[in-house]
Amino acid sequence: MPELNLCNEAGRDAAVSMESVMMPLRVRWVDEKGRQARNVRILKSTLEQDVDALKKTADGIDKVAQSIIDSDPDVDLEVAGSFLTMTSRVYINTEAEIVHRVNQFEVIKNPDGSERERRVLERTQQNVTSEMPLRWSGVYLKRTDVIRKFVFGNKLQLTHINGLTYDFLFAMAKDLESRDSMLLVGGGAKSNEPLILRRGSVPYRGFLEGRTDGDSYLLLLHLSNLELKVPDEAEDEKDSA
Amino acid sequence: MPRPIRFDFDGAVLSFNMQKVDRSKLYGFKQLEVFDEHENQCDLATLAEDGKTLVGKGGTGIGHLTADGLWTDKEQLKPVNLEGDEITPVSSSFAAPVELKDETTIDDYLNHNIRLIYRLKAEEDSKEDALHLRLKAGAILKFPYSYRGGLEADIGFLLTNENDELFFLVADPTRVEFVGLTQSPAAQMEDDDQPDATDLMDFGMI
Repeated sequence: MPELNLCNEAGRDAAVSMESVMMPLRVRWVDEKGRQARNVRILKSTLEQDVDALKKTADGIDKVAQSIIDSDPDVDLEVAGSFLTMTSRVYINTEAEIVHRVNQFEVIKNPDGSERERRVLERTQQNVTSEMPLRWSGVYLKRTDVIRKFVFGNKLQLTHINGLTYDFLFAMAKDLESRDSMLLVGGGAKSNEPLILRRGSVPYRGFLEGRTDGDSYLLLLHLSNLELKVPDEAEDEKDSA
Repeated sequence: MPRPIRFDFDGAVLSFNMQKVDRSKLYGFKQLEVFDEHENQCDLATLAEDGKTLVGKGGTGIGHLTADGLWTDKEQLKPVNLEGDEITPVSSSFAAPVELKDETTIDDYLNHNIRLIYRLKAEEDSKEDALHLRLKAGAILKFPYSYRGGLEADIGFLLTNENDELFFLVADPTRVEFVGLTQSPAAQMEDDDQPDATDLMDFGMI
């Protein structure tokens, strides 16, 4: 279970547990005896049989059908329908050969599709680790305002790992609940950077929310990379057209 | 333009156009371009376990196996929920007006992950109609939503942003739960177990 190092208002830090709250699959498919069936990923056709390859072999899309009729190929029983389990993603060139050394570029585009910047791809480094504590920013935002400004696409639940961190997190949840506010949470040395939970993953702004119920607490780190606002009217009209 | 969605609110049917909002429309987007050493553009493909079979886009499919590992058609299977009860499919939310009767709390709203965002635009300025006034006052309305009908409805929320613009958000529930302290038995001590001060000072025991 991943750990998160978090500071409280007094600047004391503690390593706590960070859990995903994604709901597992809610629908199961069963046979007539009520026994669970399962899905498998199967191979339908290889790269040599896809449209681009057939176009090249037949010398044009209009000749593909006749080429298949003429060659009368059989289904390769060794390959077609085989299970795909331990697969890898690879880059291929125009000759459908695997390329081992590639140069990756990130092209940043404006909402209208025009190019803003082109740069060599650099994987963003994780800035939420058990070694680097997330500082208490002291920036509180009322919950009623936050839900009308930001969209929370993901969240993590923070839980204690022992009696000491139970007290630590419970007090934090109680404080946030009494303020009816969320705490803005940032990463990096100055806590002003977006949170990057894994190397190369989507950067998010973090909002810490706390609730209590008797001796129990709920401490959620809401993650947002989107404001709840209307795009520029010009973009809007273009999309509708 | 997508189909308009209709809501039944306080006995009146209101029709709205839906416009999808995402990061690319607000802030722009990124594209990855990959080249080999000779500046030729590269594409992604799937390499099978044998280390030589390459599979392109659309070259894979999903099959269904019974508990005995035999092939079966999806038509032979039936969907059930986690309790094993058969699921009754829901119809599309565009087939009839969606009844808005459930107001929910901020806590409930925050227990969900938002997956899709639509800006709702009425045919005419609707900032003073009953629905808009209720949402402007801080209400969050919740309803089941399904785009094309299917096994399960998603969860839809209606609320306004800080500029009183109306938004419809499609959400997934999460499994957040309150947690309490469950101490290990070794750490728990009944009153009777309290050590006597004289026991603690008995150096003869050491």
